[in-house]
Amino acid sequence: MTQPSLITRDLTIRFGGHVAVDHVSCAFHPGELTVIVGPNGAGKTTYFNLISGQLPATSGQVMKDGRDLTRLSPSSRARRGIGRAFQLTNLFPQLSVLENIRLVVQAHSGHGWRLFRAVDDFTDIISRAEHYLEATRLAGVAHMPAATLPHGDQRKLEVAMLMAMEPDIYMFDEPTAGMSLDHAPDVLDLIAEIKKDKTKTVLLVEHKMEVVRALADRIVVLHNGAQVADGAPDEVMNSQIVRDVYLGTAGASQ
Amino acid sequence: MTAPASGKRQRSPGEKAIRLIVLAIAALLLFAPFLFQDIRSLEVAARLCVFIVLVASYDLLIGYTGIVSFAHTMFFGFGAYGVAIALRQWGAGWDAVIGGSLAGVVVSLAVAVVIGLLSLRVKAIFFAMITLAAASVVLVLASQLSGLTGGEDGITFRTPALFKTATKLLVDENNKVVQLFGVKLNGKLAAYYFVFLSCLVLFILMLRLVGSPLGTVLKSIRENEARAEAIGYRVVAYRTFVFCAAAVVASLAGSIYAIWLKYTGPDTTLSFAIMIDILLMVVIGGMGTLWGAAIGAVLLVTAQYYLRDLMGVAAEATANLPLIPDILDPDRWLFWLGIIFILLVYFFPAGIAGSIMRPRAPRRACE
Repeated sequence: MTQPSLITRDLTIRFGGHVAVDHVSCAFHPGELTVIVGPNGAGKTTYFNLISGQLPATSGQVMKDGRDLTRLSPSSRARRGIGRAFQLTNLFPQLSVLENIRLVVQAHSGHGWRLFRAVDDFTDIISRAEHYLEATRLAGVAHMPAATLPHGDQRKLEVAMLMAMEPDIYMFDEPTAGMSLDHAPDVLDLIAEIKKDKTKTVLLVEHKMEVVRALADRIVVLHNGAQVADGAPDEVMNSQIVRDVYLGTAGASQ
Repeated sequence: MTAPASGKRQRSPGEKAIRLIVLAIAALLLFAPFLFQDIRSLEVAARLCVFIVLVASYDLLIGYTGIVSFAHTMFFGFGAYGVAIALRQWGAGWDAVIGGSLAGVVVSLAVAVVIGLLSLRVKAIFFAMITLAAASVVLVLASQLSGLTGGEDGITFRTPALFKTATKLLVDENNKVVQLFGVKLNGKLAAYYFVFLSCLVLFILMLRLVGSPLGTVLKSIRENEARAEAIGYRVVAYRTFVFCAAAVVASLAGSIYAIWLKYTGPDTTLSFAIMIDILLMVVIGGMGTLWGAAIGAVLLVTAQYYLRDLMGVAAEATANLPLIPDILDPDRWLFWLGIIFILLVYFFPAGIAGSIMRPRAPRRACE
């Protein structure tokens, strides 16, 4: 088996007396797509926030390729290859779709501190941004402010921004949330495309079981912040503990 | 309607109109000494040049990056006092002009770095309070340290000989100053063009800044700070940088203004009344576009200078009618200025430039 690209070791966060993520230890490997499931409030998004740095861990570690990232800011982690798409659409609303993506490309080209050259002169950045617009079929709305897009296109832009980061670790937080069934396949195709690249590690929070079945190489189940199951999809889906979690009987043992 | 993804975006008619207006303002200021041949108009023109730069630099903070600061007149004052103190202590030489401006820039930069690093991480409201406190301290210091700053009276000083009204730039055979289109080519003219050109350079530098990749990063921080951080921008560093850049520009604007006035004091550079003027100019002109800052500065400064005259004329013209001349009495100019503000904010909620330039797309919440 390959070396894990991302490891969380006893990762924990406490909000006062409430332990939202409770000693989660997991190793994720390149070429593997892991779906994280669990009922509402299980700590899935909080776990993502700890990995990408939006929240500081109370204890435990986040390691990428053997380096400890636990104390780094979200921007440093992003520059070290941890890419994150958000569950609640999280765009630059008054900037155009193209600008949203261009900002991402620019962040990873190191041109953010270029002061006096016009934006339009950086043709390499623009053409890469346009590449991602076309890949996500957003080219037609390139110059619309992001806030004016329909919800489905905003979700696609969210995914396009993550792809434009070209990270080593892709973290999708319910990428199809609130999308109609005819829009969801577009996004899922994009994720399937990323999965083909065996150097990339993909983490996905998802509720829709058909999505989980179609994409997952592995499933991790969180419940009340703790990791209660981890394994191949068939094995986990059929396990007693998952049924208990979803039917609400496992809480007693916590 | 779909727009092509490649190529530059077409400018909307509104954007073109705003650019034309600002170009017209620039042309008027360029030829101001020839177009308006009286001392007061030249004072207004010079004040306009300085305030366009000052308001534009403030717009870098509030309009582009979403930083609310009340310390902008403090930096304006550092520049003005730097030049004033240097010229008084060292005599009226160019070394004092350059040394004083640099001293102002260095002090501004140092204070901006300290305020920025200490407090740009905290919430916007606390940052605003910290800048307010810093500006208050400096205002008090300026009036208390009267040995250095001249206290409430400020500092009157002499500028290099080139800028003296008596200086003749060109003389004819009788050793009298040459006139061009009826304008004497004297030191006053040289001083005006010094103000105009330095302000033009500063404004163009700021235009380049906001059109660069860095300008887009600033806008992204205003729009969604957390996401800017999440895609890899170190937000604190960018905010500190723009705070310092705006401070340096404000400081240089202060130096230029002090050289023009040959005077500086708390009421011309440091007071909170000026800070409020700057805020009004940004809001009325339109935040987030340097063009809007220019338009706001022009409107407010000309209103402050000419509204009284205009009302005097109007009151006289209506002298035979009942009541109206009383309402239009020049003494009530502040009342009318207030009404104009309210109307402008009501009809142009995004500011004049902002409202004209905004594409008519339906706005929806993104959250």
